[in-house]
Amino acid sequence: MTTTRPPALTPAPAATVPCACTPADCRERCAVEVIDGLLRAAGAVRGAEMDALLDLRWLLRRREDPEGVLALFCQLRRSMEERHYLAFYRLRRWLENHCYATVRLCAGGPERVSPVRLDRFCVEAIRGHCLQTALAPGELAGASRVRFHFATLQ
Amino acid sequence: MKTATTTSAAKARTDTRLVDALNLVLADSYALMALTHLAHWNIEGPDFFELHKAFEQQYRELFEAIDEIAERVRALDAFAVGGLNKLARLAGMEEFSSPMPQKDYVAGLIVAHEKVMDDASRARHLAGEVDDLETQDLMIRRITFHQKTVWMLKSCLK
Repeated sequence: MTTTRPPALTPAPAATVPCACTPADCRERCAVEVIDGLLRAAGAVRGAEMDALLDLRWLLRRREDPEGVLALFCQLRRSMEERHYLAFYRLRRWLENHCYATVRLCAGGPERVSPVRLDRFCVEAIRGHCLQTALAPGELAGASRVRFHFATLQ
Repeated sequence: MKTATTTSAAKARTDTRLVDALNLVLADSYALMALTHLAHWNIEGPDFFELHKAFEQQYRELFEAIDEIAERVRALDAFAVGGLNKLARLAGMEEFSSPMPQKDYVAGLIVAHEKVMDDASRARHLAGEVDDLETQDLMIRRITFHQKTVWMLKSCLK
């Protein structure tokens, strides 16, 4: 019996994208800071949202599971954005600047880097958009694979 | 006999940190004016008329402020920064990728106003260090404008 190994979470060095944001010149409010603001604001967060926000905060600090971060962000966005538009705008912009996707159109093929745009509300739609962005005009996606990554902190 | 004002002006003139800080506020304000103008043109949605008019008032105010900040730099015997590329690079603000949802324009402008406020606060502080009350007064007026605008924009998102 053969076992299939899960795909490595770390992208190939050539595919890593340096993160434009460095602590010294980052003028955006960082995602964890935005979440802390939401958690501090009295009455801002309802029951289960508190747990989900804490989970998202933990995932963001670990920087190991970008897909998990995006999935939780989308879930929270659907329930909270209407009440906290600015906070979710900041989170969205931060994630767009700190995450990217690599797209492989077929097994063994080269990886293409695609930006992550969060103008969609679930991970599958975001994945589909990344794939679409990576395709050249007229090119078809066969057994494609899209993986999300955190940009490298400089 | 030297007056307190001339002494403080002389101190301010020799402080390149203050001139750099003022030029940064100038670049920020220019970039913010361009973003506000873009939002004025491209915004769509149920609040179009109100936001279209509000953005027009804001970019007009910014245009006048830019002139005042640049003239303050000149009054300190320094030169004002200029040129679209240089101003954009110095300000480092994210540009809008129109079309965007109406609320994204508002949220994006809030973030941009906050950046100007941070930089103007720094300039106000540096002006205080060299007793340049005129620059301090100008920065206080700028911060007051941005605080008021942020309050109004935030109210649109509720």
